[in-house]
Amino acid sequence: MDSELLIQNYQTGSALFDEMQNSGQIRLPYQKLVEELKQHNIADLHLKHKLAGDLFMSQGITFTVYSDDAGIERIFPFDILPRIITAAEWAHVEKGIQQRLKALNLFLKDIYHDQQIIKDKIIPAELIASCPHFLHEVAGIKVPHDIYVHISGIDLIRGEDGTFYILEDNLRTPSGVSYMLENREVTKRLFPDLLSNANVRMVNNYPLMLHNNLMSLSPRPVSNPTVVLLTPGIYNSAYYEHTFLARQMGIQLVEGRDLVIDNHKVFMKTTSGLQQVDVIYRRIDDEFMDPLLFKPDSMLGVPGIMGAYRKGTVALANAVGNGVADDKAVYAYVPAMIKYYLNEETILPNVPTYQMSNDDERNYVFDNMHKMVVKRTNQSGGYGMLMGNKATEEEMRLFKDAIIKSPREFIAQPIIQLSTVPCFIDGELKARHVDLRPYALCGPDGIKIVPGGLTRVALKEGSLVVNSSQGGGSKDTWVID
Amino acid sequence: MLSRVADSMFWMNRYMERAEGLLRVLLTNYVLSLDKGPYGVHSWRPVLETFGNLSDEEMKQIEYSSANTLQYLILSRANSNSLRSIINKARENARGMQDHITKEVWEEVNLMYHTVNQPGLEKKLSGAEALPSIDKLLKLSLTYVGVIDTTMPRGMGWNFMNIGRLIERAVLTADVTYKQFEQINFDLDDHKDILYWRNLLLSLSGYELHMKNYQGSETNMNVLHQAIFNHHFPRSAVYSLSRTERYLTEVLEENEPPQKQMIYREFGRIYSRVKFADESSIKQITLQRFLQDTKQDLLKFSHVLGQQFFSYA
Repeated sequence: MDSELLIQNYQTGSALFDEMQNSGQIRLPYQKLVEELKQHNIADLHLKHKLAGDLFMSQGITFTVYSDDAGIERIFPFDILPRIITAAEWAHVEKGIQQRLKALNLFLKDIYHDQQIIKDKIIPAELIASCPHFLHEVAGIKVPHDIYVHISGIDLIRGEDGTFYILEDNLRTPSGVSYMLENREVTKRLFPDLLSNANVRMVNNYPLMLHNNLMSLSPRPVSNPTVVLLTPGIYNSAYYEHTFLARQMGIQLVEGRDLVIDNHKVFMKTTSGLQQVDVIYRRIDDEFMDPLLFKPDSMLGVPGIMGAYRKGTVALANAVGNGVADDKAVYAYVPAMIKYYLNEETILPNVPTYQMSNDDERNYVFDNMHKMVVKRTNQSGGYGMLMGNKATEEEMRLFKDAIIKSPREFIAQPIIQLSTVPCFIDGELKARHVDLRPYALCGPDGIKIVPGGLTRVALKEGSLVVNSSQGGGSKDTWVID
Repeated sequence: MLSRVADSMFWMNRYMERAEGLLRVLLTNYVLSLDKGPYGVHSWRPVLETFGNLSDEEMKQIEYSSANTLQYLILSRANSNSLRSIINKARENARGMQDHITKEVWEEVNLMYHTVNQPGLEKKLSGAEALPSIDKLLKLSLTYVGVIDTTMPRGMGWNFMNIGRLIERAVLTADVTYKQFEQINFDLDDHKDILYWRNLLLSLSGYELHMKNYQGSETNMNVLHQAIFNHHFPRSAVYSLSRTERYLTEVLEENEPPQKQMIYREFGRIYSRVKFADESSIKQITLQRFLQDTKQDLLKFSHVLGQQFFSYA
């Protein structure tokens, strides 16, 4: 079998943590997968790779890339080999994320009401005051069950010794959960026997859990509240996900133009007149939600919706104003929040983060720039970053100038070599860096996390940037018992 | 049901019906163009006039070239009625309401979209693979109808979809019938032989039905009867309208729009004019007027529906 060679030729970086192989030995959780691979020859694997691409294409699981005025639809690159996490590792991740979300929820409630955490000098007031995502407009609004972060996708990485770190908190409109679910469906077709034999925990009840949580937010005490998913429309890059979730939950997918506000209530325009809406799962960013309050030229939102939200006639998930909690500079204070609100030690550590407004920390970063990754606090998707180990002197100088000009807009972290997993690339097994985004749902009866998540993989050799906008792909993620 | 969704349902099906009509006309004409027929060299002009927007000069340049015509009617982005344009619009409608159509329906529209946009199609259409390519596309659009029929729930969306499909079908039938009669100056008393009518009958997929059911020498009148008045022929105008009435009634009864009575009357006028027409009444206003009015009124009615159910005002 030529696939024996595949395994033998698998090269891992010496200083890196590889999740399949440890000093030449296959780790226990991966043994079944390796056995399975040995049953196939390389031509088989190529076929599976092609089949996966065709499946994504025919179902329209694509995102549109615009060039020369023509929208070209691309599939989000998918690697056929699953990434495997053990039950013990998962238990640790689960506990850590639950703890973090509990604290972040309390922080959001606090920051928009009493601001006790500032009065107690745990977090500097100027940090919050200078955060562009802190919205005075929503201060004092009471949200159902005091839940702010109904849906989250917190990014984790594993360092050189296999430790899980929190990389960033996505508490606004995190996307990718549909890929987690579709990746699993595709894997069922690629490796049917393996999946059923490997004791993989299932992920497909996510939409049901989400739907139940959304229903529980209804301000009107009716048995069957009207829940809708508000999308920016078909040109949004995550539109596929919006349709997927609406379909799975059996709720209406609406655009801003379908909604209208009357007497501080939200209605949708139907063929038989107006129908009241109780809960909105919104996939539109805060600043586009209401042209009367935020961006006046937004065509995506609904004029007057924030008035209805303040009145409490409609529930929004996630809450408006969450950006203050996943700001990259506020991130450094999350362990302090955990201590302050829960009186617990942090289970999942942060990546050490240097504040550029602190002179000592800034000087340290400037002296060690080649070992640092510098990020803008207000950008995401892998944009506005400087990888010190790959940057030219000129680029570093530009970043230093920008940092000195507005230190609040940058943070720096030591470059962490993410763990690697095997990917099937060009007929060989190659080690590539990955992160992990589990999806957590906060409802009235606690925080639930689907066992798995989205594993994003940097497909370029040696690259540490996994974002899809920077050529990243994804993998199915197995939690096995 | 959201007005926007009802609108998309209506239009998705109008476009898909138009695509099927166009493909059937193309297939028929392509096959006939391969024979040296009894009526001289085959010209694509009538088809180009129906499904295109070219000037007389531009038509002269391509009317005798199957390759150029197919290129224009199937792939051209400049022609808003080319198959590619129609399918792109159908898919855009489908995409905007994926949560209201079944996964199977979405995948079918998506497959059609990818097939008509595949890079190699242009080359295929200009060579020996033209016929199988058109054939394949036609099969896909027929599959779409089957998938809709077997998977879509019978609710408000279904009603709007069918109204869209049937109005489009009646308009198409009036259109291709008009073109075929135009070439003989709308003469109903003449008796052109069946070879002349083959193009129209095959384009409507009614050739076999015609051979079985219409005897006698009144060919022109017989063909008109089949295209407009035959209740058993699924592409006749009267069949399409009688089915439209059924779905329209459901929509009006369930939604109770303010203009309910007006919509009933508007449609009733169009339907009864076709339903109760006969040879002498048509001759009175001329066949040309009759077909033109039927088409224009249907398009106007489609607009009225839009204002009543789909408008965002």
